[in-house]
Amino acid sequence: MTSFCTEIKPIFCPSTNVKVTIAMQTETTSDTLTVRQRLIDAYIDRLREHGSPPLAVYPFCKSLGIGEKDFFSVFPNLDSVEAAFWREQVIHVITAAESGTEWEGFTAKQRALTFFFAWFEHSLEIRSLILLRFSDLGAFENPVWLRGFNQAFRDFAKRTVNHGISTGEIMQRGKLTELYPDGILTAFRNLIDFNLKDDSRGFERTDACIEKSVQLAFELIRSQAFDSTFDLARFLASGFRR
Amino acid sequence: MDQESIPSTKLSRIAALSGAGAKVGVNYLKYYGKRVLGGSDDVIDLHEKNASEIYKTFSELKGGPLKLAQMLSIDKNLMPPAYAKEFAQAQYSAPPLSYPLVARTFRREFGKSPTEIFDTFTQNAVHGASIGQVHRATLGDQTFAVKVQYPGVAESLKSDLNFIKPIALQVLGLKESQIASYIAEVETRLLEETNYTLELERSIELSRRSAHLTNVRFPIYHPELSSARILTLDWIDGLTLDKFADSDASQEDRDRIGQALWDFYDHQIHTLHLFHADPHPGNFLVKDNELWVIDFGCTKQIDATYYRKHFHFLDAQVLEDPALLEECLEAIGVFHGSDSHELRQRVLKICAVSIELLGRPFREGFFDFGDESFIQGIYQLGEDNLHSRDLRKMKGASGDVDGIYTNRAYFGLYSLLARLRSRVQTRLPEWLRELEVSEIETCTDHRRITVA
Repeated sequence: MTSFCTEIKPIFCPSTNVKVTIAMQTETTSDTLTVRQRLIDAYIDRLREHGSPPLAVYPFCKSLGIGEKDFFSVFPNLDSVEAAFWREQVIHVITAAESGTEWEGFTAKQRALTFFFAWFEHSLEIRSLILLRFSDLGAFENPVWLRGFNQAFRDFAKRTVNHGISTGEIMQRGKLTELYPDGILTAFRNLIDFNLKDDSRGFERTDACIEKSVQLAFELIRSQAFDSTFDLARFLASGFRR
Repeated sequence: MDQESIPSTKLSRIAALSGAGAKVGVNYLKYYGKRVLGGSDDVIDLHEKNASEIYKTFSELKGGPLKLAQMLSIDKNLMPPAYAKEFAQAQYSAPPLSYPLVARTFRREFGKSPTEIFDTFTQNAVHGASIGQVHRATLGDQTFAVKVQYPGVAESLKSDLNFIKPIALQVLGLKESQIASYIAEVETRLLEETNYTLELERSIELSRRSAHLTNVRFPIYHPELSSARILTLDWIDGLTLDKFADSDASQEDRDRIGQALWDFYDHQIHTLHLFHADPHPGNFLVKDNELWVIDFGCTKQIDATYYRKHFHFLDAQVLEDPALLEECLEAIGVFHGSDSHELRQRVLKICAVSIELLGRPFREGFFDFGDESFIQGIYQLGEDNLHSRDLRKMKGASGDVDGIYTNRAYFGLYSLLARLRSRVQTRLPEWLRELEVSEIETCTDHRRITVA
């Protein structure tokens, strides 16, 4: 029996504080690394080490011994490199969660919960990056580097909502239903925010917060309150969006 | 009014944390409003309203408050009856944890999901425990009860307690200094309960050291399937003690189970000095006319010195000799140096009544707990003590903190036996029997009540 946990663990063992490299980054060796992956790795490494991203393509490529042409053949700009990284994090966790043996039988709510728990387990690996990038991020801010993250999560949320609709767990409400993925994304961002401020042992309070938030969200989905909330949220957000 | 009214800052803090806090506040304001306006002094009605509001919120909060609610529901001598009734309901089923969270807890603790460890594992909890929930699992031909703890319980416990403290103080009409040691002791026990590793150790130890008792059984615990947040033991199919009590069980069966319960507590307290301090009916099962003890979450250890002091009250001499009684009460910290002579005399009188009543089962040798007047007497005593101005005035007030759980154990035991309507053989602890023989006394006593 394989479950998704075997693929993303061992990540963090709270009792011993032992950290182990995540599978995703160990499966590639320097010889087989694609230019794309090398660029992402170098970008993130720099961000982690210096607390700031590379400022220009030329010196960045030069330090890697990669030509500019090769860079622009895979990325249109530097921000897109980071966007690709965040997108991969989300997709990695989604793939891991969806490949769990029990996934098929899960309700939409259980799927959302499973994703969140898996995300925050995985996030321990990149917590310094998340701290760096998400700490000062406004609730409705949507910088370029975050777009891949948002898009990947929205896709997952949409699939989850559709699953919920197909099983009758979530009510189909036409146009309003389309707002649900955005709503779940907002909840996700709030949870990230909560997690960054969480100082409990093993971030246990984040677990409790996930449980309670998702519980509330799915209760609201069944009532009109959810629709009204997100109608308002979207209205407010539209004022800040680019 | 000044001392009892709710400071507005405190009220708003409570309100921010919970609807119930606010509602209790409002109920109080209504009550005091009425009183000021010369309306009827319907304090019972107020208690009932508050109890139901608090209970609603506590059952939603789970964790600490639910546990404290349970504790207070047993320690009825600290609670107005209306609260006790509502809180008694808190002993079962809090809203369940989601399966993904349970699976996550498993992965954190064992690196594997429940279905990787067991052949089958119920996605939904089969029943709630106050700080966790129980799943049923199978592996081969074995069936297990797997207790999974709510995440962050230990962390949220302190803040939960801080949050209900002002409500509790208001409800009981006490000052913080009076129950500071009480709250601290409860907090320690509650924190202990979140430590499943300790629970496992204590369960195994107490089971082993009590294994010889007739009609008392313990499930097998599985350390290899347990951790700080998960506790696995054999699944026992049986009736919880309250269901058994309400069944049409024969008097003979009731006596047998009651006797097992009495012997179990007698052995733990008077021989082991380490006891199961959570005698609520959900922690016991009856199966094939035997009593199964299934939850050692709350245990209390008392040292020998304290034990002697506390149970000296069982000595018949103490009731007959007011000076000795005063000495005994002094020894366990009931009196404060500055308590006036008159106050002491009145408190002595109250304590003598308590001790006479609470020690009665020990004196009789054979005691019928089906006699409702006895347990009613205890409830009444708790109620009287709660409203006693003299006890309130006492500086020491709480007496010794070790007594909280000792008293709770006996109070719970008496309540359970009353519910079972059991008739049991009782006897004094050995050291007091020797004392008795030497003093040629027949009449003895036990236990004082914790002074709220």
